[in-house]
Amino acid sequence: MLDTKKVGAVLIVGGGVTGMQAALDLADSGYYVYLVEKSGAIGGAMAQLDKTFPTNDCSM
Amino acid sequence: MTLSEVTAIDGMAGDFTVTVKESPRYVDMEKCIACGACTEKCPKKVGSEYDAGTGKRKAIYVKYAQAVPLKYQIDPDSCIRLKKPGACGFCEKVCDAGAINFNDSEKSHTLNVGAVILAPGFEVYDPTPAGVWGYGVYPNVITALQLERYLSASGPTEGHLIRPSDGKPVRKVAFMQCVGSRDENLCGNRYCSSVCCMYAIKEAVIARDHVPGLQTTIFYMDMRTHGKDFDQYLERARDEAGVRFVRCRVNGVETDGRGGDLRLSYVNEQGRQLEEFYDMVVLSVGMQTPKHVLELAYTADIQLTADNFAATTDFQPVQTSRAGIFTCGAISGPKDIPQSVVEGSAAAAAVADLLAPARFALTSMASFPKEKDVSGEEPRIGVFVCHCGSNIAGVVDVKAVEEYAATLPDVVYVERNLFSCSQDTQNMIAKRIREQNLNRIVIAACTPRTHEPLFRETLKAAGLNEYLVEMANIRNHDSWVHGGNPKAATAKARDLVRMAAAKVTYGDSLRPISVPITQSGLVIGGGVAGMTAALNLAEQGFAVHLVEKSDTLGGNALNLKHTWSGEHVPTQVAKLVDRVVWNERITVHREATVTAVEGFVGNFRSTVTGRDGASQVIEHGAGVVAIGGESYIPHEYNYDTITGVVTSVQFDKLFELKEKHVRRGRRFVFIQCVGSREADHMYCSKVCCTHSVQSAIALKKENPERNVYILYRDMRTYGQREALYRQARQLGVIFINYELHGKPKVAARGGEIDVEVWDHVLHRPLRITADMVILATAVRPHGDAADLGKLYKVAVDGQGFFQEAHAKLRPVDFSTDGMFVAGLAHYPKPVEESVAQALAAAARAATLLARTEISLDAVKAAVDERYCDGCALCVDVCPYHAITLVEKSAEEGGGRIIMVNKAQCKGCGLCQGTCPKRGVYVAGFTMRQISAQIQAALAV
Amino acid sequence: MSFEPKIVAFCCNWCSYAAADLAGTARMQYPHNVRIIRVMCSGMVHPEFVMDALAQGADGVMVLG
Repeated sequence: MLDTKKVGAVLIVGGGVTGMQAALDLADSGYYVYLVEKSGAIGGAMAQLDKTFPTNDCSM
Repeated sequence: MTLSEVTAIDGMAGDFTVTVKESPRYVDMEKCIACGACTEKCPKKVGSEYDAGTGKRKAIYVKYAQAVPLKYQIDPDSCIRLKKPGACGFCEKVCDAGAINFNDSEKSHTLNVGAVILAPGFEVYDPTPAGVWGYGVYPNVITALQLERYLSASGPTEGHLIRPSDGKPVRKVAFMQCVGSRDENLCGNRYCSSVCCMYAIKEAVIARDHVPGLQTTIFYMDMRTHGKDFDQYLERARDEAGVRFVRCRVNGVETDGRGGDLRLSYVNEQGRQLEEFYDMVVLSVGMQTPKHVLELAYTADIQLTADNFAATTDFQPVQTSRAGIFTCGAISGPKDIPQSVVEGSAAAAAVADLLAPARFALTSMASFPKEKDVSGEEPRIGVFVCHCGSNIAGVVDVKAVEEYAATLPDVVYVERNLFSCSQDTQNMIAKRIREQNLNRIVIAACTPRTHEPLFRETLKAAGLNEYLVEMANIRNHDSWVHGGNPKAATAKARDLVRMAAAKVTYGDSLRPISVPITQSGLVIGGGVAGMTAALNLAEQGFAVHLVEKSDTLGGNALNLKHTWSGEHVPTQVAKLVDRVVWNERITVHREATVTAVEGFVGNFRSTVTGRDGASQVIEHGAGVVAIGGESYIPHEYNYDTITGVVTSVQFDKLFELKEKHVRRGRRFVFIQCVGSREADHMYCSKVCCTHSVQSAIALKKENPERNVYILYRDMRTYGQREALYRQARQLGVIFINYELHGKPKVAARGGEIDVEVWDHVLHRPLRITADMVILATAVRPHGDAADLGKLYKVAVDGQGFFQEAHAKLRPVDFSTDGMFVAGLAHYPKPVEESVAQALAAAARAATLLARTEISLDAVKAAVDERYCDGCALCVDVCPYHAITLVEKSAEEGGGRIIMVNKAQCKGCGLCQGTCPKRGVYVAGFTMRQISAQIQAALAV
Repeated sequence: MSFEPKIVAFCCNWCSYAAADLAGTARMQYPHNVRIIRVMCSGMVHPEFVMDALAQGADGVMVLG
């Protein structure tokens, strides 16, 4: 890996909670992020849930 | 990039070329203002994917009400116009913004990136093809995801639980577990989906909140509630919410032929054939990898497991088989929300490790003109009234609002915009600010929650302090909710504008707080989690101090032999220790503990004291707590008196050394849940079921003649570990279920051991003579946890494990900024989850350490020295411990006064609400500003 | 003329204010008498504000958080 080119950008496939978390952490630590989502909006499966354990917080 | 898919990944780690195909949206994202007029007019209805088919959407739609980006899209498969040119086209006619573009076309993008993260998620198993329990035939058989939508206030029934067949209220619900999981026959998904037990319990409890008196029954094989606090929730569901749990296999679900009732037949644990009637049967459907993800895996050229999940290793849980491509979430195995979020951060850490030399190479900072000082000026307010197309102007008489605004005190300029948020209007507002010399701005439009940041940028661009803007929400709180009463809506709009103007009149220029960051980290605990976190931070380029209490690195992993997937732990741990010791950025402090802590995010000062009493102060910007856990030392089952009764860790050692009692032994009994899941320790230790099953397999493989028994309560070989459970059964390991009230009895008889357990199949006590009894003992929190927690002001939970900031969304953060948690210190977990959490903690810490300073929102509490008399009432109410009481110096007149630590303050204003003397206020929400707003609200 | 009460509501930015926004998105219709004041937390609402509002003619005050 000596002296190979390193591009400071990352492509993330999937805009659910997981992909979004990765995107936020990378953007916050100095990398350019492309977030690629198959559907028309990010949010993924969690956005479909009504409430979540243990606090019964709304998933939004 | 939405509606986009990756079609090719070329190149290698550090330098990939990725091709992305973007499907047409047919709606211009720049122009669409999400007013919804198009959807209202669209004549075509289809089943909503978001509502899992329980509700309908139109051909032009937004995925869900809170979608981001909140932009409409046209589904080309159902749009009348796109299928037949010239037809329909209603949406185009009603769109004031002119956003509809039927000629939109597919685009291809080529992107140069250093790494790729795959987080495409899962799909829920579709029980339709196999017709599981009548799904697709009986309307009252639904999936758990559909129930989730029925229970949602934004769902098709607005949260009312009614039978889909006839709309009758639901009184009895049955949940069927393991649909599409642990099942080779119907679906071929042999693994456990890990999340369904917990979500079924949650849905059962919440459904009862919706329908008082609702009877809920969960039919299951094993309750797998192995996550943090899950077992306590299970107990509460049974004892308080009255959820009934029945361990059995259901034989059949049929209709009674008349109404929508469903007849369930099953054999209970006593062996009796029973029949019960239910209004609704909910299938707890599992997770699987969708076809498009399999294609993505093929495109990315990564290996998959036998269960069709991305192959990863236990010590590199987010690394795929191809360098530079990482995974997180359900693509690498079924997992719940917190674990998915952990892996999201972990993947970020792994990428940051790879690309550290290129950090900040491609990011940029926006620059703004110098800010004008307006403190000495009289207020000159500009009011901008937005039409929002017809969203506001269609109801509110905006012209009347504009005219009214001009009459308000200090208002010197008023104007109306079609869309205040559009880029050209933004430029225009900035121009007006300069031209008219405005120093306070009111935007009468939509909600500040989404648009205030945008208008703040506009002010900055115009050289005005960004906090001198106030929004009047005349759309969400007015035109949209009083559509039937334009006159009242217009009057309310006037009031809202007056209130905003009154507040902004007393607005001050505020400066975001800037806090410098010490760009180094402290990791407490030198086990696998601690070493992984330290190493990742060091590889990212930060100096790290690693504090270990003992004289050896490795922690609890030193007692482990193999991970569940068979990786050799000692080899991996040795490698890790080597890398840590030889890393020049890591300073290891052995035989040392943290004894004192000062400071806050970005600026901690921790005192580390060695066994010899020598202390040193370490400055660090962020910290990771990874002090691990301890092994429970049992007293039950005559562990103290019978030599043949050993713990799992002891057994591993004896087995490895080929100790003669093990070598010659023919009869082995494993007892699960020793010290877990009972009275004072109501939690699952998560790793012991898999551990015992692995040991049992090893014993059987060595000598198939051996009799190996596992006495268990629920077999929790979750996820792809299910393969081990299956293998053990195939090898002839005998599994016997026991309940908490009927624990096995262990007694010595000569050189042998008698184990007695209640046999649920034969309905009588079963006596097993054993050569050796192995106790699957619990993982306990570390004894130092509570004290360390106090030093860093971070909480431990009722069991003594560290408490994360949010169970779902902030699984490695503490509520104290700048501190993070990983490994067993947080909760019992296997190696790969500890490693993922450690990487995640490192990623989260790196978001702070990557910068030389952090800028915090200016909405913070401040002391008014004229009024504060040091009564300290606010000190106790502050939930963030941001307020301290200090002595004033003699020249300040002596006495005491409070001091606010702006880095810790979140601007909630509990102090302001508590202070009887107006001695503390929140900038941007001062007493004067809010009073002015109240007065303005009631002025007419 | 029928009685039209004036109601002042203090709404927390993170929950009830967001809920009022969503009510708008969902086009839920409700009486127009309420005037919402956004705060960063309902804990910020000083008792004096409630007294103030009542003294200045509010017929009701809601603190939502």
